[in-house]
Amino acid sequence: MTTALQRPPLVRSSDRMIAGVCAGLADHLGWPVKYVRLGMVLASFAGGAGVAFYAWLWTMVPTADESARRNARRPASPIAPAVSLPAPVVREAPRGPLPLGPLPDGGAPPFAVPAPAVAAWFRTRRIQYGKEILLGAGLLLVAAILIARQFGVDVPLGTLIPAAAILGGAAIAWMQLDETRRAGLVDKTKADQAGGWVRLAAGLALVVAGVLVMVSGSGSWEQTWLALLASVAVLGGVALVLLPWGLKFWKDLETERAGRVRETERAEIAAHLHDSVLQTLALIQRRAGSEQDVVRLARAQERELRIWLYRDAAKDAGLLADRIKAAAAEVEDTHGHAVDVVTVGDAAMTERHEALVQAAREAMLNAARHGGGTVSVYLESSDAGSEIFIKDRGPGFDPDAVPEDRLGVRESIIGRMKRHGGTAVIASSPDGTEVRLGLKAADTAEARIGEEKP
Amino acid sequence: MNGTPEGTPERTVRVVIVDDHAIFRSGLKADLDARIDVVGEAGTVDQAIAVIAEARPEVVLLDVHLPGGLGGGGREVISGSATLLGSTSFLALSVSDAAEDVVAVIRAGARGYVTKTISGAEISDAVMRVADGDAVFSPRLAGFVLDAFGTAPADIADDELDRLSARELEVMRLIARGYSYKEVAKELFISIKTVETHVSAVLRKLQLSSRHELTKWAAERRLL
Repeated sequence: MTTALQRPPLVRSSDRMIAGVCAGLADHLGWPVKYVRLGMVLASFAGGAGVAFYAWLWTMVPTADESARRNARRPASPIAPAVSLPAPVVREAPRGPLPLGPLPDGGAPPFAVPAPAVAAWFRTRRIQYGKEILLGAGLLLVAAILIARQFGVDVPLGTLIPAAAILGGAAIAWMQLDETRRAGLVDKTKADQAGGWVRLAAGLALVVAGVLVMVSGSGSWEQTWLALLASVAVLGGVALVLLPWGLKFWKDLETERAGRVRETERAEIAAHLHDSVLQTLALIQRRAGSEQDVVRLARAQERELRIWLYRDAAKDAGLLADRIKAAAAEVEDTHGHAVDVVTVGDAAMTERHEALVQAAREAMLNAARHGGGTVSVYLESSDAGSEIFIKDRGPGFDPDAVPEDRLGVRESIIGRMKRHGGTAVIASSPDGTEVRLGLKAADTAEARIGEEKP
Repeated sequence: MNGTPEGTPERTVRVVIVDDHAIFRSGLKADLDARIDVVGEAGTVDQAIAVIAEARPEVVLLDVHLPGGLGGGGREVISGSATLLGSTSFLALSVSDAAEDVVAVIRAGARGYVTKTISGAEISDAVMRVADGDAVFSPRLAGFVLDAFGTAPADIADDELDRLSARELEVMRLIARGYSYKEVAKELFISIKTVETHVSAVLRKLQLSSRHELTKWAAERRLL
């Protein structure tokens, strides 16, 4: 048991032949998949034990996705230790095929678990293991009955089978309820719902069939049909009566949920305003003497609020326009200079675009440091490439007269753009300076070839 | 905002300020220079329509978002004052970054759009320009226009209203880059009057074009 804990958790692998059971098992045990599959097939010939074991694992072992979802809620996978041992035991004690659907296995897995371990689970994970333990107990019972029959004891199968069917059906239906609740009634995907309905229907069918057989007692077909008809009629009548009430209940539930969502949204907005706007207003009041501080605070708050209000949730974050805006915001914060960004179009970030952003940032820093007034930044992106213009209204300078040791312009802007196949032009006049950065799309030719392939 | 004062200092322009924040109205009034004569103020759509009809200003400084009326904000004020459009020009003022707000008032008939964060002197210049019948584009509005019309110049086959000419694109790009009209004129070796002509032509296209992208794009932005 102790070694089992260090193994990778037992999950159904996505690399699957049927349901990913063998691959998952092999992963978990550290055995080659081939042998596990071969063993499973061989065991299948031993009275169908392999098939039963496979089916059992299929139902009980979560897929990797499900497991991840579960682990998000509790740290360790409980299934792994529970089923880490049965495989060899199945081979030791293959059993004959069993007559009943819901109880397919020969009762092997429960035998496999040493008693202390069971006790340990009960102490630590009483609730989570309820299902497994119940199933095991049921299988044990079936096995005992079968053995008893072989020894000649008369067991009233006519009563036991319908009763088992009812119990199984109810269990299946309740499992559904349990899982729905676990999913929080909210984040159900459609696939889950479909599976849920199938399970519910199967459970219902089992229960109804079991009740019918039990009530009619004899098991004669004519009587069963009649009873079936009558029970369907009764069920239909009950549904008809309860439907409006159920619908109303459902609608109330929906309304209440919508109301709660609105309330949550309002609370979120209030929290956001409190954390941002109110704090900034308080700061502004305290620093009312310093004009620059007030302007900087107001600008930063305005920017933050704009992003929050007009943010396009559908748009991918981290595209070129966003990065340029972020760089502008950074410059604005550090230098207290307004930086206005206008963007047309957008482009996905690549390594070359990263260089473009860095060069633009450097140009903005220069503009904020040496230029006066508002810094204007304009980004235009299209399929052909991206261009960025950074303009200030400072006194200007002579780009050729920049000393060699001033790395800002020469290295960070011009050099960087050249290294990445872009262009950088600096136009300066007494009215202001404009840095023009251009980056042609490099992969247009390749992309076109790629498109022609299919 | 996009240039030096055009009108002579003696000339004054009669202006009505429409904004629902009294603090902003009084602040703006204090900021505007001597060329501007504020003859009225309004805080709601209905008030604005009444004040404009009574005061008959040359220029209305109009906030895009306004309470009252049917909820149409600045757009509703312009359509409510449609009979005066010949003598009264509207200049949209906004804090909103949402393109559909701005484009809606421009398409309703406003002659320009400036952000509320610009200085009083710049707003005064913009008012003078609008009073002279020219259009006022902020860099951001130029960006919106380029976004809506696309950055490729018009083909001859295209409907004239649905595309910007190569020259108009150049002017729009320069304005988006933060150039004043004067700087645009210098850069393109044309006169300021020619720049104004191009900008007015773009404004007309923005107002009249039934360009699919313009409506679709505005509708998309509404989903923000």
